[in-house]
Amino acid sequence: MRLLRFGDKIDTCEGRSATSRCKRIGQRLADSARHRFGPEASWIQRHVAGCPRCQRRLAAMARVDLALSTIKTQPHRLDLLMRANSAAIRMLNHQLREAAHDRRLEEATPEPRLLEKCAAYRAAIVNVAACVAILFLTKAGIISSFDKARSGGQAVMKQYYTAQAGEDLAGEVFKS
Amino acid sequence: MFSKAVSYDVLWDSAAYQAVDESQRWIVVAMQKYGHELVTMLWRILGNEQDVCDAYQTIFLRLAYLEDSRKPQWVKAYLFRTASNVAITVLRERQVEKKTLSAMTRMGEPQVAERDFDAGHLAESLRQHVAQLPEHLRNVIMLRDLGELSYSEVARILGVSAGTARVYRCKAVQLLAMWMNKEERQ
Repeated sequence: MRLLRFGDKIDTCEGRSATSRCKRIGQRLADSARHRFGPEASWIQRHVAGCPRCQRRLAAMARVDLALSTIKTQPHRLDLLMRANSAAIRMLNHQLREAAHDRRLEEATPEPRLLEKCAAYRAAIVNVAACVAILFLTKAGIISSFDKARSGGQAVMKQYYTAQAGEDLAGEVFKS
Repeated sequence: MFSKAVSYDVLWDSAAYQAVDESQRWIVVAMQKYGHELVTMLWRILGNEQDVCDAYQTIFLRLAYLEDSRKPQWVKAYLFRTASNVAITVLRERQVEKKTLSAMTRMGEPQVAERDFDAGHLAESLRQHVAQLPEHLRNVIMLRDLGELSYSEVARILGVSAGTARVYRCKAVQLLAMWMNKEERQ
């Protein structure tokens, strides 16, 4: 390395050409460092040859590198990109079409119907309705009419038995 | 091979462009621009074509449904970060399924372990271990090695310096080597 004398120009990284030169130097430095300190450096090779621990470590690293290159070299079908693109576009269009409808649904406040509102009181309402019906039937005399019809029917049957089987048997059957 | 891929792209191009709503055309442009790189990265991470298609759809749907349908400042960074996250989720789900299945088969007949070199097994083992890496290391391995982005791009996407990205990659490789070595001994 040469020392700078008074009046010498110093290279700076200003300007496009200087930047590319700077990049080139950076690349050379990296290459040089890799050559001197990387796994292929002779002093490292000498050490590794006699050190089982480093051998194991390097072998494990090489295994990772091998796995990575295996993954990189595994081929996929040629039309994979096309299939992925068309599936994505189809899904995108579908989602966009449904988006307005979905938003309306999201924003809509649920309004329950009258029947749904009354569902909680259904049992009580049915009980009250049954009571009212019984009261109505009593008031209208329908229940007493049923009694009358029953006794009328019984009289007819007794008459039939009397005519067919005799009065004694009919009296025994229709004891009341 | 390349010419065939290009012709497929051209075929897809006009039909896709017409089908999509005008407000979402930028997504199709992003798809055209980064689709190939994304599919390659997803394929390398997942190794299954159906999973790749599913993950790809999810990535672009997330992009379309960003808050207020805004276009992110740097689309590429957004896409690659999302791809990495989606892929890792799929990979973990697959691992859980595999564990359950292997537990079921263990209950049945005993299996004979294969010790020969098997490229498929090696790749799958690496995928499993990558999924177990800490997030910052995993992101670097995925973007740098499987996505083949430069260190400067990886650094920009992850919001760290290029040097830090290199250190993270080195640490990730060391961890992977240790885990894979341990697995091989078992």
